[in-house]
Order: sequence, then structure tokens, then C-alpha cells
Amino acid sequence: MYKDKIVLVTGASRGVGLEITKHFLKHGATVIGLSRVESLFNHNHYYHFSVNIGDPESIVNCFKKEIGKHFKRIDIVINNAAVMTSQYSMIMPKKNAIDMVNVNLLGVFFVSREAAKLMRNKEPGRIINIGSMAVSLEPVGDSIYAACKAGINTLANIMAKEFSSYKVTCNTLSISAIDTDMLHQHSDIGQEKIKEIIKKIPIPRNALIDDILNVIDFFASDRSSYITAQTIYLGGIN
Amino acid sequence: MTNNQIFEIVSKQLVLLNETFLENQKITINENTILFGYGSSIDSLSLVSFIVDLETLFFDEYGFEISLTDDRAMIREISPFDSVATLVDYVFELVNELK
Ligand SMILES: NC(=O)c1ccc[n+]([C@@H]2O[C@H](COP(=O)([O-])OP(=O)(O)OC[C@H]3O[C@@H](n4cnc5c(N)ncnc54)[C@H](OP(=O)(O)O)[C@@H]3O)[C@@H](O)[C@H]2O)c1
Repeated sequence: MYKDKIVLVTGASRGVGLEITKHFLKHGATVIGLSRVESLFNHNHYYHFSVNIGDPESIVNCFKKEIGKHFKRIDIVINNAAVMTSQYSMIMPKKNAIDMVNVNLLGVFFVSREAAKLMRNKEPGRIINIGSMAVSLEPVGDSIYAACKAGINTLANIMAKEFSSYKVTCNTLSISAIDTDMLHQHSDIGQEKIKEIIKKIPIPRNALIDDILNVIDFFASDRSSYITAQTIYLGGIN
Repeated sequence: MTNNQIFEIVSKQLVLLNETFLENQKITINENTILFGYGSSIDSLSLVSFIVDLETLFFDEYGFEISLTDDRAMIREISPFDSVATLVDYVFELVNELK
């Protein structure tokens, strides 16, 4: 399905990003994975680079010195890397708030910007952002996180206009809750809060990885050339 | 790197850009060619692409990391994108600072 495609996944070292990476590899793609740490994951068609998505210089350097030189083009980008601190605004540590903006919002901007330069060819290009239900549900404690995720919906919508003449579509998949490190890092009270939220969505369960891969495949498909500037929420959230 | 060499590089890049234009959109390339604003027939997306390609080329081929659209470029009284000549002058300035 993805033979000859070059896919870039941010936050490929674990969680959702690692599952997305394995999925593309299983279906014949070459995958470039980015995250801060070296990856323990090995595959003949997997190339990992240590990049801090919260640092524009680190991103630009990686594209200039590694990706641009070794791969020349990118077909699909999955902007998945993110950090999350859930805390009341008045006591949110300054550093955590800034990290969220740098990684979750600016990181998506700079990765998309650099990748788009390598998508200006005859092949269709796809930029897919991983968003969150927090944008729609606006849970207490998630002010910065949700604002950044709302921001990436907007980034995709505007980049969809800017990049359409290069046949690059830009969409967002907003996921509900899924069992990863990000979910487990919440305190017991935090996890209870998420369970309560999930109980109230139209399909009251956590997302499974296949729910995510299904929409990724839809956005990534060559047939989806007329689908751009869209946000799809999982589980019936809108 | 001399002004002439930079002119050659910029012109070559414009020739490549011209190849993407339809016959009736093609531009005449010389030092007076207007790149942006009144009198330019290059659409803004093509200009963006041209700038990206030029920056990439200077880095990949000559090792000069230049930014043609940062604040410094934007606040100049004479915009680097007024014409090919002003762009060449601006690149010359940047490249020589990096030497
Ligand atoms: N899990 C959920 O319930 C949930 C719900 C809604 C939305 N989401 C979204 O789904 C996406 C994936 O989340 P997840 O649950 O898989 O998270 P996760 O398990 O915490 O993994 C996050 C990934 O991002 C990378 N990362 C974090 N900061 C980075 C940085 N500064 N530079 C480079 N890489 C960085 C991490 O790698 P390193 O640590 O190696 O850098 C890791 O690979 C995120 O966009 C998240 O917002 C998740």
C-alpha cells in the first residue's frame, strides 16, 4: 500500500508514533522517525534521527543536513510528537507551558514547513497532524495543551491553502484517549477525570490503535487528493 | 564569490522557474527583472518556491546558510526582491559576511 513512499513520523520512539511507524513499514514504506532519544526500534527501512521538536534549530538542521541530503523527498508527514502537562492554569509551571507551545504547536509548524519544501514534486503529499479531543471538550487543566492542539488544526487549514498547488493535503486526526505513556503520566485523579470524560462521549471507550490507523490510511491515500483542511475526531466527538 | 557568479546562480534558478510557467507567463531574465510587487508577473507561490530553492542551493552547493526573508531583508529600504540586481546585491552581502 505504501511501497516507494517516504514517510516522516515525529515522536516515533514510543506510543502512537511507534505504532504508526510499524504500520507504514509493514505496508512497504520507508520511514524516517524523529524523537529526542535514540530509538531501540530496528527495521531495514527505518531511519531514526534524534531531534528536539521543541527547538526550531534542531529541526531545521536535521532537514538540511540529514533528511534533505539522504532522502531528497518526503511523501507523508505525521506530526505526532507532543508533550502534555495537565494542571490548573494558575499553578501550571512556566517551563511546562512553554514546552507545550514549543513542541505541540511551533514544532508542528517547523516540521511541516521544512517537509513541505521536500514535497514540491509531482507526487501527492500528505501532512497529517495528530490532534486531540481536548480541543472540542476543553477539559479543566488542559488550557495550553488544548490551545496548542486547536492551533495545529488551524495550521493544517491554512497550510492546506498554501500547499495545494503542490498537491499536498493537510489534515488533522484528533484522537480521544489511548493507552500510552502520555495517558499513564496522569495522576490517579487525572486518570479518573479522563475516564469520566470518555464515559460521556458518543462511543464511550478509549481509542484503539486501529481506529487511528484507519483514519491515517484514509488521509494518506492517493485517493484522498480532494480531502484537505479537515479535522476528524474519533469516538463521535465533534 | 563575486557579484557575477551570484548573478549566474540566480539567473539559472530563474530559468528553472521559467520552465514551470506556461508560454504566455514566461519572464524575461536579466538584472532588471522585477521579482515582487508592481510590474512582476511572478505569482507569490512561485516566488516562495524560488526563494526556498535558492537558499537550499546556496547551502547544499556552496555551504552558505543564508536567509533571504528574515527581518533584516524585510526592513531594507530597497527590498532584495525589487529586481534581480537588488537580490544579487543582497546575496553578495550575506555571502561575504559568512566568508
Ligand atoms: N495518549 C492519549 O490519550 C492521547 C489523547 C489525545 C491526543 N494524543 C496525541 O497523540 C500523540 C501521541 O501521543 P502518545 O500518547 O503516543 O504520547 P507519548 O507516549 O508520550 O509519546 C510521545 C512521543 O513524542 C516524542 N516527543 C516528545 N517530546 C519531544 C520533543 N521535544 N522532541 C522530539 N520528540 C518528542 C516522544 O519521544 P522522546 O521522548 O524520545 O523524545 C514520544 O515518541 C500526541 O500528539 C498526543 O498529543 C494522545
